Amino acid sequence: MSADLDVHLAAISAGDAQAFGAWLALAEPSLRRGLRSFARQVDVESVLQEAALRTWQVAPRFERDGRPNGLLRLAQRIGWNLAVSETRRLKRHPVTDPELLEAGVDESQRYEQALPDPFLREAIATCHEKLPPKPREALAARLGSGGAVADAALAERLGVRKNTLLQNLSRARKLLVECLRLAGIDLEAELG
Amino acid sequence: MSDLGNEPRDEEALIEEVAGAYRPRDPRQLAFLPAWHDLSPAGREVAYARSVTQRRIEAALDPQGYSGTVRAVLGRIAGR
Repeated sequence: MSADLDVHLAAISAGDAQAFGAWLALAEPSLRRGLRSFARQVDVESVLQEAALRTWQVAPRFERDGRPNGLLRLAQRIGWNLAVSETRRLKRHPVTDPELLEAGVDESQRYEQALPDPFLREAIATCHEKLPPKPREALAARLGSGGAVADAALAERLGVRKNTLLQNLSRARKLLVECLRLAGIDLEAELG
Repeated sequence: MSDLGNEPRDEEALIEEVAGAYRPRDPRQLAFLPAWHDLSPAGREVAYARSVTQRRIEAALDPQGYSGTVRAVLGRIAGR
């Protein structure tokens, strides 16, 4: 992928949170993939969100090195350092093969063109419409929460037990993935 | 331990919770989801893989193409 996500850098440095959102939407798959080898050692979602937040905080002082996707490489390094630090704090065994870790960092120099993908978006939306009411309601609650509400609170809002909410979320994803498969799209294979 | 009261914590429920984008906030240190601590190492791998799929679905259903992770980070930036 030749595109350079640093096209958003000027706006991000000026404090434009929407520009940072646009950058993060494209950077997220690479950042997550770069932390994959830590999945047993740390809560990758927590590390990823913290790395993104710290990247936002230091972006105004970031200076480009002439190579593309500099902010993405910085974010990957912040995430990697956080993951190592948390692994040590939790006193776990040495993480994994250093070469594998370094490969994850290097991988961040490119990113997946996750958006726009109108065909996939339309297919997922169509399959979403076909979901049974309860799984659809559960998924809508998660989507609407914007990652800011705990599942226990979401379940309470819906008047169900937390386990019921989690079961419905699991069912929603399975049905979506199966619906997409029938439409000729293997979502999990696409994501590698 | 996770906050599920008296409900049983089966691995599948833990995986589903960890695959979500919600994370608690703690100004003193990086906060992990309690359910993540309760998961087996293999379950953590499954949760990671599931989060990849889940984020893609979320982004596809979001008007701006933002996943739950992006929304969560923007919420923290905005102080919500």
